[in-house]
This record gives sequence, structure tokens and C-alpha cells, in this order.
Amino acid sequence: MSHIELCKTAIAAAQKAGAKEAEALIYGDRTVNVDIERGEIKTCSDLKDIGIGVRAIIDGKIGFAYTNVLTREEVEKTAKQAAAASLASLKDKNWRQLPESRKYPTVEETFDKKILEVPSDKVVELCQQMIASSAEVDKRVLAAFGGAQVSSLNLACANSNGVEVEDKGTFIAYALGAMARSETQVSPMCYEFKASRTYDTDANWVGKEAARLAAQSLNVGKPEAGRFPVLLDPFALQEILTHTLIESAKGDTVYRGRSKLRGKVGTQIAAENVSLYDDGTLAGGMYSGKTDFEGVPRQKTPIIEKGTLRGFIYDNYWARLAQGKSTGNAGRGGGALSLPAYCMVPSISPTNIKLEEGTASEDELIREVKNGYYVRSVQGAHQSNPDTGDFSVAITPAWRIMKGEIQHAVKGAMIAGNIYDLLNKIGLMGKETRQRGTFIAPKVVVTELNVVSK
Amino acid sequence: MKDVFVSALDKTKSLGATYAEIRAQKNNNTIINVVDGQIEAVTLAKEIGAAIRVLADGAWGFSTTNSLSQKDLEKSAKSALTMAKTAGKSIRTPVKLAEVKPVEDTVKVHVKKDPREIDIKTKIDNLLSINKACYKFDQRIKSVTVRYADLTTEQTLGTTEGTFINQEKRVVWNYCWVTGKSNDIMASARDEVGMHGYELFDTETPEKIAQRVSRRVTQQLEAKTPKGGEHRAIIGTNIVGVLAHEALGHICEADLTLAGSALMGKLGQKIADEKVTIYDTALMPEGFGAIKYDDEGIPGQKTVLIDKGTLVGLMHNRETAAKMNMKPTGNARAQDFRVQPLIRMRNTCFETGDHSFNELLEGIDYGYYLEAFRGGQANLDGTFTVGVQSAFEIVKGKLGQPVRNIGISGNTLETLKQIDACGKDFGLEMGRCGKGQAMFESSGGPPLRVNKILIGGA
Repeated sequence: MSHIELCKTAIAAAQKAGAKEAEALIYGDRTVNVDIERGEIKTCSDLKDIGIGVRAIIDGKIGFAYTNVLTREEVEKTAKQAAAASLASLKDKNWRQLPESRKYPTVEETFDKKILEVPSDKVVELCQQMIASSAEVDKRVLAAFGGAQVSSLNLACANSNGVEVEDKGTFIAYALGAMARSETQVSPMCYEFKASRTYDTDANWVGKEAARLAAQSLNVGKPEAGRFPVLLDPFALQEILTHTLIESAKGDTVYRGRSKLRGKVGTQIAAENVSLYDDGTLAGGMYSGKTDFEGVPRQKTPIIEKGTLRGFIYDNYWARLAQGKSTGNAGRGGGALSLPAYCMVPSISPTNIKLEEGTASEDELIREVKNGYYVRSVQGAHQSNPDTGDFSVAITPAWRIMKGEIQHAVKGAMIAGNIYDLLNKIGLMGKETRQRGTFIAPKVVVTELNVVSK
Repeated sequence: MKDVFVSALDKTKSLGATYAEIRAQKNNNTIINVVDGQIEAVTLAKEIGAAIRVLADGAWGFSTTNSLSQKDLEKSAKSALTMAKTAGKSIRTPVKLAEVKPVEDTVKVHVKKDPREIDIKTKIDNLLSINKACYKFDQRIKSVTVRYADLTTEQTLGTTEGTFINQEKRVVWNYCWVTGKSNDIMASARDEVGMHGYELFDTETPEKIAQRVSRRVTQQLEAKTPKGGEHRAIIGTNIVGVLAHEALGHICEADLTLAGSALMGKLGQKIADEKVTIYDTALMPEGFGAIKYDDEGIPGQKTVLIDKGTLVGLMHNRETAAKMNMKPTGNARAQDFRVQPLIRMRNTCFETGDHSFNELLEGIDYGYYLEAFRGGQANLDGTFTVGVQSAFEIVKGKLGQPVRNIGISGNTLETLKQIDACGKDFGLEMGRCGKGQAMFESSGGPPLRVNKILIGGA
């Protein structure tokens, strides 16, 4: 039975058990994964995981059940279980209805047959290349951890409102965490990676860059406390913004009064050169696809335009409550229990959040900072307060910039501030962007940040 | 079940495996989320699956399957073997496993209240009571999220060496996130509790949970901004475990130590003040990390990491133990059947000392009392960060005003030397750790006084 047929079977079974509305989502497939540990390829895995999650709604009471056994019998049992869970629950007065059928966009570069055909030997070879190229950079570097994976993921979603959609995607990703040791210093773990939806291999670059960062972290000098301009790498930006601004741009956070952005649409909240949008239809985007995780079409949604707040991202539930339209941002999976997508009900998730690039070259950015810091990554961003936007994080790896040049690495320094203050201090922006997680950004200069150090 | 396992394991061996294990699970999960008083969804789930790990040609192969039939287990084992041989082609230092005695055992989790026997209505009512009590605490409380989960796993572990363990695992977990607002000031706080049985809520009553988390919020609404820089501080019982976990624990996980962590080559050396003893133990029944056997079948035990200032132990699986010529410590744990076991902490704690809380306070002219944490993170070079959601100024030996959210940071080898007094009260926190996989673990200890720690304030 096809995935969409199985979804329809689940819906019929849930309705038979009393559900007024029902929805089924199948998600998952196969991943081949190779792990690097201490400069060696140590483990090769063949992972299959796919399952179905069924939502059943009876008089505003929402039940959910899932299984990873995709036989007709188990799927029907799961649908009945979802209906039973619904009956055991209480009415959610905010429930309106499941999504309706809408037209889906065509999204480019999200599937590549070549990735499905990559043999595991080839994935091992990729890892060997990363290890070898990192070793060439500096003798003091160890390819401590890393790996490569190729995955294919299939999605099927149907509901009792007429939604019926299937999508498929492929991914290839490889990363290396390098550490360097000298007589007196241990570098932090320095990561580099590449990830793509279509077949692409640049293992040498990843190995070399990770090693270069680790080796350059060994030349440590004293940090200086005070207010300085800081050049933030997309890594650091992604970490800070994901746990502050992006949380507050989610429609549920706004509706529930937990977002400082509530009531601010149309007002200036960032420097004029800041434009930020969520685009689930971006060609080749890591989170692009034609549908979200409840059958709503993916789309492009502006959040900030030239410094002015334009809107928020929504799934079906919160959009209907806020009397708007879902922006196709229903995600599933992860969370506190780190579960696969089919194990969870939808919640609002960003797709590809793009911070528009500027025009500056790398040299121009460093010269612009003149006397300050370059921060590759921060540690502790998930401990930020998503509601208030306060962050207080260690900067590592990070380098001191003096006289317009990178001078030495720093250890034991933190940056502390508030995201809404930071957004207004974004100055020169780089011309090149890259994607890390859901975030696509250039390097940006923050004209003043509070650096705390011992 | 045993016959099916033995048959699949034997087949792998005859095809060239040095070692193979099957870890099968049947999981029963209930998850309920309450969002501002509305039940988001009641989730009831059953899942089934097996993880198969094979050592061949000196490397690991790993595969997963969602069927426990003989045919599918054999197919999956074969796939794991092929993967091991692929990885083994280039290996220079073949993986070896520390020798262990095979174990046959059946383990049940003994609890007063099995969550599977509590009806959904009772669970929902309890969560709604927590929600209500939060709003009732103070009119400035504006938003409340309560997350509940009970997860029961029936696990069967079989190995080619003859280990065969049926082991039950169970977690009852409750999480709250509360936001308050006063004029333009906003504040929020979290709270997390857990146990192995539903009796958790006999002691953690809705009122108790609500008051603890809501008070943190209202304090934050009145808090002032802390001064950034190095300060003296008391690290409270809610945070001290996170410090044990992030500042020391991770870099004592032998896979990370061997990868070049700040503790590489430091075994036997004095790295902390004599007052400092830190251990990781499975023998603490109330902790999330109380496991009779780990996921390689090694008996749960207590592992001392720092004994009176000296680094004496690391946390091992069978592979790192063999590599370092030490004994496995029972720290190999996997989130579920979808992933391979990694070296993970269990219950990681500082040993108590003899100071009362007031005695700790007396030693501080100006500093901070760090009361409750938001999260933590470690880096292999020993840099750790802990987010603090509740803290107070200390002025002339007395607790002063609350201060706003801060992060603290330090380096293990420097901070452990700064501990100058340990309290006598012990606290244990129930938490989760992410090392690629989510894992329930606990951590704790007494309040500690440190000479200096970096406070990420204004």
C-alpha cells in the first residue's frame, strides 16, 4: 500500500472510531551514516526509520498516536488509539479545524537521485578525505569527531478536509570537529561542515577549514573587557538569533503575550539594512519543500523589511486563532524528548530564515571592526531567555581584532546583551551567505557589544 | 525471544563478526502538553524496534529495524555486518572491547505508582492544577506551559558473548515554562522534575511546582542587572549539579577525553582543591540515571571522578576501557533503538562538605548567589557555560536583591581550583542532556562557594 493510501486508511479508521476530523502524516526513510572518532573512521550505520502519526479530533478534543510499524493492521490500531486519546482529553477551546487543501508550489533542488545511489564506500571515502586534508594543515590538529551522512526522506500527509500531498527529499552532509594541542594550550573543538540537498562533495575544504580554525585557536592572547565592535560569523548569529528573535517571531509566542514583538508590526525594530524572511520554497534550502508537516504549502514570509517588523510565522492552529493564514511553518519532531517527526503534533518551526546579505568583503569587514573581536561561535546560546531576548554567552572560538587585523585567539570571554538592542546595531554586512541549520546569513558587524572577561 | 536473538547473533558470527549485540525495545509513551490552560494534545504511543551493532574487521557496523521477527533481525544484522566491513577497510587501530562476564538477568523498575495504571483524566487534572496554581500565584503571570511525559521501555539485550538481559526502564517527567509581565518588563522561568514512578506528584504537588517556578518569575520582574566580570559566588544546589555535569562530567567521558579534552593525560594529577570530590553513579535510586545495567550489559556502579582534588577516574564504555586499559564503568547509554549507545552520564554529583549555608554567606563581602539554572554547555577545552535563571546579590554576607538572567562561564581546570568551601545540604536535579541524543540524567551536590567565576552581566 502506498504511503498516501496508508494515510487515508488511518483517516477512515479514526473516523470509524468517532473522530470528526482526522489527519495522518508519514515521515522518514533511510540514512547511511559514517562516524569519525580520533582521526579514524570507526562506525558505519544503515538506519531506517519511518512512521505514521495520526491526529483525531472529537468536539475540540485532540488525540494523537503514532507507530513505526507501517502495516495496515498497525496503522488502523494507531488511528483507533488516536481517537481513544481524543475521547480521554478535554476540549481545547482554541481549536478551529484542520488545514484545507491548497495549491502547492514547485520547489527546485530538493531531491537528487544521485544521493540515493551513493554507496556506503563513497561516504567512507568522503570521511577519509576530510581526515587527510585536516592532517595536512597542521601537525598539532586531530580530527576528533565528525562524519558524513546521506539521507532520503519521504513525506505523505492527508486529512479529512481534503489535503493529500506527498513530497520527497534528499540530503548530504559532512562535518569535522578538529582540536589542536600545543605545549600550553588546548583549542576548543572547531567545527566546519557542508550540507546540501543535491550531490556535492567538497570534503577537502571542510577538513582544511576545521583544522585551520583549530590551529589558529592555539595562539591565545588576553581578552579585553569593555564595549567593542564585534564581527559575528553566521555560526554565532544563528546560535544567538535562533534562541531569541526567532522564538519571538513565532505566532504562538506572539499570541500568548510571550513575545516582545507583539503589537510592533509596522514599527522599526532593527537597523535599516536588516531584512529577514522565512522561505520554505528556497531552491536547495535545507528545509525547503512543497508542504509543511500538516499539508500546508510552504511559502516565503517576510519578518523584517529594512528594519521594519512585517509579520510572524504560523502553523494552522495558531494562524486560525490569530485570524490569519498559516504561513506553512508547521514542523514536527525534536523538542525536549528529541523525537522523530512522526511522533509529535505540529508546532511552529522556521524553515530557511534568510538574513539579506550586504556588499562587504571579508577584509572590509575586519577593517571596519578595527578594534574589537571576531566571533566564530558562541557557547550557551540555548540558555538565553527567548521571551526577553537577553543573552549571555561565552565566545569560542573567537579572535581579537586590532588595527584592522586579526591578532590572536581569546579564551574566557563572554558577550552579554539583548537581541533587540543588537538588531539596532547591525552595521556593515558581508556579501557572502551560508546556511547553518535553519539560518542563512552573511557575516555582520555589530557596532557595539558588551564583552565581559576575567 | 531468546531463540530468535541467538539465531541472528550466531549467523553474524559465522559470517565474520567478532562481536554482535541486539538491543530490542517495546516502548509505551504518554505525552500531554498544556498550553495556557488548553490541552494541546494527548499522545498515546507504542513503538517497537531493534538496534543491532556488529564489530567486524576492527570497526563497528550499526543498523536499525522496526520488526522483531527472526527474518528481519537477521537481515538487519547482516546489514550491520556489511557496514562494519565497509568501515573496517581503512581502520589503523582496530576497536577492541574490554572483557566482561556475560550476564543473564531480568530487571523490573519498582515504583509505588506505575504511570500506565493512572488514567488520563487524573494526569490531565494534575497538569491543569499546576497551570491554575501558577496563574493564582501572582496576577503578573501571563503564560504557562506544562509538559508531561511518562515513558516505559521494555528492553532486551542479547550479545554473542552470552549476555541476555531483560530490563525495564521508566521515566515520569514534568516541565513548566512560565512567563510574567509587569508594564514593559517581561520575565520567564522554567522548572523540571522527575522520578521513575507517578508518586513523583505526591511530593511535587501542583502548588509546590507552581510556587517554585512562579516565584522565580516574579523575582525576575523586580530584578536588577548584575555587574559583569569575575565575582565571588555561591553556587546553589540547583546549579551545582549542572556545574559537575558541564564543567567536569563531559570532559571525563572517556571518548571525549581521548579526543583531546582538557583532561587528556591528567589522570592521577591534582586538578582541584582538596575539598572537591565528584562522582557519577548509577546507585542512586531516585536519580534518572539509576540503571541496573547499561546498554552494553555492564552493571551499574559508582565511578569516582575526582577524589579530594585528584582526577582518579573517567566514564567508560567497553571500547574506551580497553583502549585505556581500565574497567568499563557502565556508562554506555542509548536514547532508544534508533541510535547506538554513547558514553553518557548517570547521576553526577559533588560530595557534600560541612558548611551551613550561612557560613558560606559569611565569607562573601560582595558577590552573587546563583540559585537556579536554565541550561548548560561544555566544550572539550574545558570552557563551560551555565545559564542562570534565578540569582541574588550578596552584600556583606547577606542575601540582597534578585538579579536578572545571567550566564556564567569558566574553564574547568581554573574553576575547580577556586572552590573554597562546600555546604552540607544535598540537592539533586532531574534533567536531560543532549550529546547528539537526548538522555535523562540527574546531577547534584551541596552549595559551593567559589573565589571567582565569570558573570556575563552588564
